[in-house]
Order: sequence, then structure tokens, then C-alpha cells
Amino acid sequence: MKKISIEHLARVEGNGGVTATLDGKVVTDVKFFVNEGPRLIERLTLGKTPEEDVNLVPRICAICTLSHKYAALRAMEKALDIRVPAKVSLLRELMHLGEMVESHSLHVFYLALPDYVGFPNAIAMASKFALEVKIALEMKQYGNQIMKTTSGRYIHGENPVIGGFGRFPGRDELVAIKNRAIQFMPFVLMTVKLFCELDYPEAPEAETLYACCNPPADKYGLVGDEIILSNGETIDVQDYKNLTNEFIVSHSYCKRSHYKGKPYSVGALARVNCLGERLDGEAKKMYKKYFNARWTKNPLFNNAAQALELLFAFERIPEVVNEALKLPDAAIVTAQNKDGKGAGAVEAPRGTLFHYYEITRGLVSHSDLITPTAQNAEDIERYCYIAAQKLLDSGQEDKIKDRMDLVIRSFDPCISCSVHMAQVKKASDDNWRDKLAELTATTSPVFVGMGMAGWSDDGVGLELARALRRRGVDDVWLEAELEDRALSDTNGRRPVVFLDAVDFGAAPGKIAIIPLQTAAWNSVLSHRFLPLVTGRLNLAQQKNSFLLGIQPSSVREGEPISEPVFRAMEKILEEIKK
Amino acid sequence: MPKDKLKIGIYELTGCAGDALLVVDCENELVDIFQAADIEAFLMAKSDNNDGELDVALVEGSVTTEKEIEELLDIRKRSKVLVAIGICASLGGIQACFLDPKEWEKNLKKVYGEVDMINTKALPSKPIDAFVKVDYYLPGCPIGREQFLFTLTRMLNGNPPELYRFPVCMECKWNENDCLLNKNILCLGPLTAAGCGSVCINHNLPCVGCWGPYEEANRTAEFKLLLEKGFSEEHVKNKMANFSGTKIVGFFSQFKGEKK
Repeated sequence: MKKISIEHLARVEGNGGVTATLDGKVVTDVKFFVNEGPRLIERLTLGKTPEEDVNLVPRICAICTLSHKYAALRAMEKALDIRVPAKVSLLRELMHLGEMVESHSLHVFYLALPDYVGFPNAIAMASKFALEVKIALEMKQYGNQIMKTTSGRYIHGENPVIGGFGRFPGRDELVAIKNRAIQFMPFVLMTVKLFCELDYPEAPEAETLYACCNPPADKYGLVGDEIILSNGETIDVQDYKNLTNEFIVSHSYCKRSHYKGKPYSVGALARVNCLGERLDGEAKKMYKKYFNARWTKNPLFNNAAQALELLFAFERIPEVVNEALKLPDAAIVTAQNKDGKGAGAVEAPRGTLFHYYEITRGLVSHSDLITPTAQNAEDIERYCYIAAQKLLDSGQEDKIKDRMDLVIRSFDPCISCSVHMAQVKKASDDNWRDKLAELTATTSPVFVGMGMAGWSDDGVGLELARALRRRGVDDVWLEAELEDRALSDTNGRRPVVFLDAVDFGAAPGKIAIIPLQTAAWNSVLSHRFLPLVTGRLNLAQQKNSFLLGIQPSSVREGEPISEPVFRAMEKILEEIKK
Repeated sequence: MPKDKLKIGIYELTGCAGDALLVVDCENELVDIFQAADIEAFLMAKSDNNDGELDVALVEGSVTTEKEIEELLDIRKRSKVLVAIGICASLGGIQACFLDPKEWEKNLKKVYGEVDMINTKALPSKPIDAFVKVDYYLPGCPIGREQFLFTLTRMLNGNPPELYRFPVCMECKWNENDCLLNKNILCLGPLTAAGCGSVCINHNLPCVGCWGPYEEANRTAEFKLLLEKGFSEEHVKNKMANFSGTKIVGFFSQFKGEKK
């Protein structure tokens, strides 16, 4: 692998999915992938004027079109040092709230709710939830109407431009939007109650880090010049790369993000976790009533958070309209600068969206766009893994596929890819042979023997390493002798294979190869590997490290390696010799 | 009305899904359409999709992977009439701007490095008529609600669709807007296919050309006018290229001929 420059954007829409591989009692692999063809949007904006860029980038996604527009406007205005009048900011907030109302109402009622009330889809659900289905559709249309009034069209409206608006909506149009918001309130309150009281299953529950825009003046909101994390840290949006650290995986055109070597989540649940205490009015009351510790670690609560945000939006819309009506329309502010660079961030309905541009002599010379789903991809994989492993542990293998569907859908990646797409595969007993062949195909791996000598089967990793050395295999290390350079020299280009006894809960002598990262998410395996993963391996190395495990039959002091484990060791040596 | 209900399929290749979403956004009319026609396949709106014979296939998005070529050939084989919806299917879309395959490959590498994607092979973006015969084109980014419903209802009644054969300027006059070219603002209205209802000019903004080239445009006169107004040839062509996909080549080669 050569050096990879991260300049891409892939919308998650259409063709994508998750595959989990089960090997005996262990989930050995979970992959979230997007199959849609690459569009190279960042590259095609090069050489365009800032105005053309703002026309083009919303075409990334029809569902988040105005979030893309808004993020691009914020980045361009930062780069060109343009400050827009208060009325412009307010009407942009209104259009952004419209998009959120449209997206959230569609997602919670039409995509998420059928799962929880036991119907295959929203149309079938109408038999029991007729009112909900009908008013949810009206709510979505209302969101569309706000988008049209402010942006000029339902989809890809061009009215918001750098420095302002082509035409300001009239007083009557704004008043109609305000009045309609007030009419929806009883239904919105019912929506919050419905989604906050749903029975969200416990698997997957695990801590993560949440991130979102930090709105000014200690308010709840959807834009900011700073990112706030659930651990209290803040990051200037201009330094967004410190948060996103993008990298590529070979199984998907959708890029990934890590903060300080760990996955993080963005979206409605992230916003409620970071900013919930700042809510006002009815939204505050509902937050106080329903928010609890489970919201901080269970991605399924994203549906509850979306419902809470609908309430925030319906309370905020009349305020925005009232404030906007007090202010005069303003002419478009034009740029004086022809050079500059800047990043802009907004909260798309599904999470934080970054646009970054460099402008040279009036044309785009560099662009970088980072979508929410690209940032969530690692956590989607991790939570799917946790759910699958927990269900497998409790003997509920048949529930894995549906539960993973639920997890992916809760992240609200986008409409068409939120439809059923999880797959469960069973690995054959000989699966490890193919994987080993894959790892040794192009380059020889570094082997590291792990375990405790003299404790029967727990010494198998060390024994295997010694046997490899005797057979003249290069770069074989024992845990105790392992030098940092052995790992750092690989630089992620050569795979590192840890050899150890692993309790898969299978028959003694069972062999499996697991990506080290998957092992790190597993509570049983992690105590052993976590220090290694976090302390000594960088991200590229972690992604290219594996655990070759053998199921022990017993771990007793002073006893020799058992018969089945010995045979497994021979099989592995045979395979490596090939 | 034809005796049997028309069998319709709506498909998405690579794009923003905006055309399919616009069909979904026709909520009130959609109920009637679903009654008047059999919607055999529509991934965005339903999960029980069939892949049998169709009277009409509506295809959104451009072709950017080998898998999509197979999908498209299969759709064509099963359909009596194939309609390209939106500029990605009709023209290749904004992603079809790297017309030279080498240039495209260079940019693909810039983005993805040397990583081999294991699931599907990527190709430079092309409109669907690069692979199959297309019977009708509904341009737009996204398609217009009125034009879509008008086209579909005509087909439901067994009539061929009547597509708009005039530039954005026509609609702009109907809307009684001031011509922005008179204010020395570069507006692509005269070169762009109509159907949007001149929405940008209605908002005091110049047309960005998002419905793609209007084939019968009076390019010579328009170009002369723009040059007189002080806009450079390169500037006009670059702006026009944003939404014209691979069809920009033919549009401007014809243009050149006229200029002589």
C-alpha cells in the first residue's frame, strides 16, 4: 500500500450494507460497506469559482442538500472574510430547521417506528397507527415547504448564496410557517412521548465519544465555529482535522474517522448528549423527564433524540420567524478578497458535516468534505459487532440480523441504505486457512507469540512462535522480548499476527483468525490486547493486525499442552510452511 | 386508458437520489399514481420489488461501476420504454466532468490512493445512453415536479410524452422577470433547457444551467452577445460545463461550426 491522501467524499445512499462473520461462538468480523460508485466531488470543484462550488456541492445528497449548501456557505464566507447580516443568519437557520423537520419526521415514523411496533413497513403500520402515519406525512411536507420557501425549491434550491439570499421570503410566507408550527405542537409532544417510551433493547450498549457543533451563547442549535465533545473538550472548526483524522478501508468507498485512535459518533443523540442541558421550554421539560444514563451509551436512543429535536425545532421556528420579521431585508454582501482558506461546519440531520476550501485568485484550489456517515462508519461497525457478540453469547443467534439492521438504521445513514441490509455469514471450520493465505500472499507477516509458559495450553502461542523460528521463519517474536521496533518497522504495510490461546467457547483445538480491532471490542479478549493496541500500534498497524487463536482445553500450572491443541499447532505450522 | 395498468419501475444508479426523492415528494399525487399504475420496483419507496417485464422504466443516475452497466442492460431488456430522469442519467451529471479517462484516473488515485476496492470496479461517469437506447429524456437537477407528472400521466393514458422544447428564457418571460443579461449578469438561461419554471431568475439570481444544454439554442447569437458584454469564452464554457456532463462536447463542437 502506498501513501493514501484523503480527499474524497462518498455519500452513503443506495448500495451499502453490513456483513458479520460468525466463527463458532465468536463474531470474527464485521464490515460496513458502501458500494456506490465514486463521484470524486472534491476533485471536480477544483478550478470553479466559489459561487459555482456552492451550486455544485449540494448535489452530493438530495436529502441533506441544504446542510451541504449551508456548510459550503459558512466555509466560503470564512475563507473570503464575509460577515452576513442577522436576517440572513436567521433565515438560514429556518431553512436548516426545515430540512431537519423533513428528515427526522421521515426517519422516526417511516423508517424506525415499524421495527418497534412489529410491522414490516409504514404502509402496513397505518392499520394501527393511522393518525401517526398521516400527520407524520404532513409534518414532512411542512419541512419541505420551509425548504422551498427559503431556498427556492424542494431539492437543490439556489436562493441561498454567498453573502445572503437572492430573494427574501415575504412576510405572509413567514407568518404562515410560524402559524403552522404552532398547530403541530400537540402532535410533536405526542411524538416525543412515543419515542422516548419505546422499549429499546439493551444490546448494543457501550460507551462512546459524542461530537457536535457548539452553538454560540450557550444555546442548543445546529451550527457553530467550534466542535464540542461529550468529554467536555472543544476543537476549533478550523482545526477539524484534529477531530476527523480520515482514513480509507479497502472494503468500502466510504471513508472513516477516528479521534485519538477511537471511533466517535455524531448525530441527534450526540447533540442531545453534548447540548441537552441547554434546551429550553417544553424540550427542556421533556429532556429532564426522559434523559438517563442509557442515552449516553446506546445508539438506538438516537430515535428518541430525533423526536426531542423535532420538539426543539417546532419551538424554535416561531422564534426565528418573529426575530426575522423585525429585521429589514439586506443586499447580498460581496467578497473583497480573492484568496483565503476556511472550514465551515453544520449539523446535518444525521450529524456534523465539514466543508473546507482554499481559494486562490478567485478559484477553488483545494477542497475537503467530510460527511456524518463517514464519521459514524467505525462506530456503526463497532456497535453491530457488540450487538452480534452479545446476542451470540446469550444464545440468540437468530436475532443478530434484525438487531444489526436496527443499529444501522438508528444511525440514520440515509434513506435508501437504511432499508434492510444486514447479513450474517457463518465461517467454515477451515476459514482460518483462507485468511492465513490472504495475509501471507504478498508479504511475510510479523509473528508475535503470546501467553504464559508452563501453564498448559496458555503456552501454545509461545510454543508456536518457537517452532516457527526453528523452521527459519523471519521476524518471529515472543511477547516478553518484543521490541517496539518490531512493530513500528512494519508501518502498517506488513501484517502483524499475534499467536495465542483464545477462549471462543468452542471445542478444544478450534482455530480462528480475528482482526485485532475486533478482539479489542470483545470484553473477554480485550484485557490482554488493549494495552498493546493503544500503546504501541498506530492506526494503520491496528488495521493490519490479527489474532491467530487456538481454543485451549485447559489452563493449569505445570501441565503440558493438551492433545487437541498440539494437533492444531501442527496444522498451523503445516499451513505456514506452504 | 390502456386496458391493463402500466407496469412501471423506478431505478437509481449513481447520483444524489434527488429525482427519486422528488417522486416521493409528490406525496398527494403519488397515491393516485400508485392506483393508476403498477409500481413494480421503486427501492426508495417500497421493499417488495419485482424484476419482471416493464412497460416503462424510469432510470436516475449515471453509470460509474461495472455492476451498474449490467443492471442497466438488464433493465433495458425488460422494458418497452426507457426514460432517463435527471441530468445524471441524461448527461452524466456533475460527476462526468473528467472527460479524459486519464484525467479521471489521476483524480481517482488522488482520492483513493492505490487501495484496491474489493466489491466493484469504478468507471468514469457516463450517461445511460452510452450503453442503452433511451426513448425519452426528462432533464433537471432535480427533475421538475410538473414536468414529471405531466409526462407520466400522458404515458398512463397511452400517449407519448410532450417534452418542453424551449430554453429557460421562455418560462422567464412568462414570469415577467427582468432579463439579467441587461444588467450584465452572466445568466445561462438562453442556453439551458426549460422546465424549472425559471426558478433562479425568479429569485433575482442568474440561471446556473442545471437542466443541461438546450439543443436547439441559438448558440451563435448568444455567444456573440456574451462576448460583447465582456464575458470570456472560457468563462462561459466552464460555467456551462458544470451541469452538462459528457454532452458538453457535442454542444460546443456544434457551436464552433456555427461560429464559422
